[in-house]
Amino acid sequence: MSSLVPVAAAIRRLLKTPAGGLWLMLSLTCPFASQAGNHDALKADAAQYFRDRVTPFVKTYCLPCHRSERPTRAGVNFTPALKTPEHAAFTEQWKKADARVMAHDMPPKGAAQPSDDDRRMFAEWLPKLKYLSDKDPGPFVIRRLTKPEYANTLHDLFGVPTSVADGLPDEVAGQGYLNSLSPLQLEQYLAIAENVLRQVVAPPGHKRTDIEKRLFGPSARPTGDARRAAREIARSLARKAYRRPPTDAELDTLVATFDLGTRNKLPYQQALGLMLKGVLVSPQFLFITPAINPVGEAGPNTGIVPLDDYQLASRLSYFLWATMPDQELMTLAGRGELHLPAVLQAQTKRLLDDPRSRALFDGFGAQWLNVGGLQRQVFDPALFPQMTPALRQGMYDEVRLFFQSIVRDNEPAIRFVDSDYTYLNGTVAAIYGLENTVQGAEMRKVRLSDSQRGGVLGMPGILAATSLPNRTSPVKRGVWVLEQVLGEHVPAPPPDVPALDKQDPAAVAHLTLRQRTELHRTNPVCANCHRILDPIGFGLEKFDAIGRWRDRDTNGQAIDSSGELPGGKRFSGPADLKTILAQRNADVARNLVEKMLAYALGRKLEGYDEIVVDDLMADLAGGEGKNAGGGGKNEAYRMRDIINGVVTSYPFTYRRIEAQRSLHEQN
Amino acid sequence: MSRIDRRACLKGLGVSLSLPLMDSLGWAGVPAGKADKPPVRLGFMYMPHGVIMDQFWPSSPESFLSSPPPALESLRPVLDQCVVMKGISGVPIAPFNGAPHALELSTWLTATLPAPEKRNEINIAISADQIAANHVGAFTALPSLELATMPQTWKENQEGLNEGYYSHCSFSSPTQAVPAEVNPRNVLNRLFNKQGGNTVASTPLSELDRGLLDIVLGGARDLRRTLPVSDQRKLDEYLDSVRSVERRIAAIEARQKEAALEKAGVRASNRRASDSPPIEIRIPEGEKRSEYMQVMCDLNILAFQTDMTRVSTYIGSTPNGASYPELGFNDQHHSNTHHNNDPEKVRKIALITEFNIRQFAYMVKKMASLREADGTLLDNCIMMWGSGLEDGNVHTRENLPFIIAGKGGGSIRTGRYFANTRGNQGDLLTTLLACAGVPNDRPVGIATKQIAELKAQA
Repeated sequence: MSSLVPVAAAIRRLLKTPAGGLWLMLSLTCPFASQAGNHDALKADAAQYFRDRVTPFVKTYCLPCHRSERPTRAGVNFTPALKTPEHAAFTEQWKKADARVMAHDMPPKGAAQPSDDDRRMFAEWLPKLKYLSDKDPGPFVIRRLTKPEYANTLHDLFGVPTSVADGLPDEVAGQGYLNSLSPLQLEQYLAIAENVLRQVVAPPGHKRTDIEKRLFGPSARPTGDARRAAREIARSLARKAYRRPPTDAELDTLVATFDLGTRNKLPYQQALGLMLKGVLVSPQFLFITPAINPVGEAGPNTGIVPLDDYQLASRLSYFLWATMPDQELMTLAGRGELHLPAVLQAQTKRLLDDPRSRALFDGFGAQWLNVGGLQRQVFDPALFPQMTPALRQGMYDEVRLFFQSIVRDNEPAIRFVDSDYTYLNGTVAAIYGLENTVQGAEMRKVRLSDSQRGGVLGMPGILAATSLPNRTSPVKRGVWVLEQVLGEHVPAPPPDVPALDKQDPAAVAHLTLRQRTELHRTNPVCANCHRILDPIGFGLEKFDAIGRWRDRDTNGQAIDSSGELPGGKRFSGPADLKTILAQRNADVARNLVEKMLAYALGRKLEGYDEIVVDDLMADLAGGEGKNAGGGGKNEAYRMRDIINGVVTSYPFTYRRIEAQRSLHEQN
Repeated sequence: MSRIDRRACLKGLGVSLSLPLMDSLGWAGVPAGKADKPPVRLGFMYMPHGVIMDQFWPSSPESFLSSPPPALESLRPVLDQCVVMKGISGVPIAPFNGAPHALELSTWLTATLPAPEKRNEINIAISADQIAANHVGAFTALPSLELATMPQTWKENQEGLNEGYYSHCSFSSPTQAVPAEVNPRNVLNRLFNKQGGNTVASTPLSELDRGLLDIVLGGARDLRRTLPVSDQRKLDEYLDSVRSVERRIAAIEARQKEAALEKAGVRASNRRASDSPPIEIRIPEGEKRSEYMQVMCDLNILAFQTDMTRVSTYIGSTPNGASYPELGFNDQHHSNTHHNNDPEKVRKIALITEFNIRQFAYMVKKMASLREADGTLLDNCIMMWGSGLEDGNVHTRENLPFIIAGKGGGSIRTGRYFANTRGNQGDLLTTLLACAGVPNDRPVGIATKQIAELKAQA
């Protein structure tokens, strides 16, 4: 996620302060105090600060070039941002402006320059920005079911194998997700629906299937009027497939598809089959939609409302199980009880205790830790013949079981970084050099005595995912730690990076990877980021590209995995690095909370969400886990508490119904 | 961890597939029995990361045909039917300087930058292939064909850009990226109207499906009315897709009726007896990249030959990088592009470029061997090969590499190299659309003119 905390990181990185900068400053970032109570006061303060100080600054130094005109200069326009600074559309713009101003990139040379005090004033504005946002849960964004969600839902509805959906294109879920639907995909949905029908509805004259009886009723012929019978079947089908009771208009539509079948001389059961196909290509099935006010019926047109219980059931179920709500959730929703905090928490616990909650890893965890692409990742088969499908699967399963154990045992978030156990089978154990202790194909929990291992930093799956096909990449590993573990945003390298090895290429060829990577720091443009990235990567250099421990590199040279982070923190390998990261408990937890909340909401966090996260962090820091199952260790930010916090949070349980015209469109 | 396992899709499919009653089919949209000109087809094929310049650009216009540069050697037999132009510049990518690879692909057929203020969404412009599809797509079963060889799911958002920009070059509207099909079996099923991507038994889309979609569409419109504006737009994608599939079913049915009439001798085909029969498709069993790329080429040829579509876009690979074990090394394309003149890396990039152009040459040479009307299939095509960067080492875009093959039904004069073309990629795309007979009321992206020297009649 490239928002919230990273803002601070980005600015501080560009603050041309002497050594110490980022790492030191961030490690001093104090836990977030709860500001729920004095939000109004903070908001008033931020508004005043913006009006009295920021506005004159922008008018003097930015607007002369970056104002409403065609074409805008570098695509940057401050005229609308001055009118509604808190609008999500401008968040990124404020961040970049701050970074550029602090780096003395802007205003450009030759233009009037603000004093250093003014620059600092401008930088101090950014953390206040969030307080301008009104209390707002955000809209309920309708979204298409992802491929795994779609497959699981079909499985739950009809008992068909999830492989029926294999033909659909893969997708990247969550934030920034390309949520489109093309004709190609619609054809695939039609094809899959046809395929499901063939498995569910017996051809005329054949024995009816069990699922057919369950869906269409015990009798092969309608009792009484066929259309009326079809309408009742449509009602029960739609309640399941649309995950809420259908409206009359929706029933009319479905009965019309039944009529189409009848007109085309289909027997009763086949006409019902056609109706079922209609259900499966309807947007109400393919998309997670908000509650519908029956057409013509009054309902709130705008404003903030609690999610209705059916929506909440879907949101919860797709979040934790990646599938439709089961009978129990639907019953509670029907009774209007699901939103009650005690009920919601009990259901969260039930869902997490169910094996289906592995979907939380497959959907969220794998994406967060970047191991989703492991099966497809290219490794040079000559160098790494070990990277068989079985090893790749084992590596993935190790990360998965570890993640699931943290959820199951309500471990603190920092356990991801610092733990003394993992899950291995014989294949993965060979990477650890534990092939004599752990054998066989089955994954099992293993205590680790080696403090270099334990936690995601020492896991082969993660070390491999951050490597190149033929070698390790200290830079990729450094970026991974900063972005995935600490939630900082690492900007892309500038486009015209001068060649690292302007020197004699032959001489460079003799350098170790470390020495070559260290060339980054001879160039001030590169050094800014690389003095943080590279040491972290060096700290992990004793793990090779597939996670094996080594003391020498491929050229036989000894590996130096020691380093110093800005601020003077020294380390001499993965174990030290883990200890240093463990001290940043709150940053690790906050990153997890932010990423998980964005995943659960299916949208990017913005504006008021930042305050929600602040409050959640304050709650979670409070020592004892509320429903701790992990032996009462007094550690903050426990995993189930985080999940409960997300599920009961304001944006998860409420929604804003958008006004007819959004600001977006006025621009 | 779900994924498309291509191997699983292809396994056991090493069979030739014969085609249903396409032999007699004429061109849609042309009155039957009339000896008319075949339609012009327009195809695009993409390679990321640029070329090794001194191995790509011909040394002079005079020596272009007699001694082509190494990268173009595989095209030698058809070079007289090609045009190479140096001097076509790309869209300047500021303010997205940190995302050259998202831009090289997404600007390739749009000649337009993503909207900076909406960079995390898809918000760019309709691409040239889709402009063409809007014009000629109504005549054919598929308005356009999009092919790729890598899943379009790369997750990266440099400069805050939507990750779709890393893997898509076709856009049917500013906000809708068109996905490409990576599975040859699915392409074949689509072309010949069989459902069920990876199942053996398959049923065609039918008139009944069309009726069903029509009813569902009505219901979806009701739903749309109850949604806020932003969600309505999302549902519009769904509605557009449903309408498009409905149109497709109608087009298929119309063509099947024509074919039946022709077969019964009730009406004459405007396709000539001397035309080559549709080519055979052999879906490879192995994992060889060349075979995979070539079967996609074959499908492209077949789709053009049988007039299933007149527009195609083929993303040979995406910027996140294919690897080429066949060439004797396993590292990824991108990891070699920043070669800093390291001879070994330069050699690899040259090999990769030559490999990609060889696949393009495979396609156009085959087209040149297929008889159609008074000439060949290639005579009636405009096939553009290109990359989104000139030099992947430093991300330059001043002279984007393009090869045009085919005479475009007589609209393009081929066999030439222009060493000093003045124009940008929008100008080039606008010119190609004009040559393909697509009336274009607006230039493509940053275009300001057409490139006169490309055309047979300036």
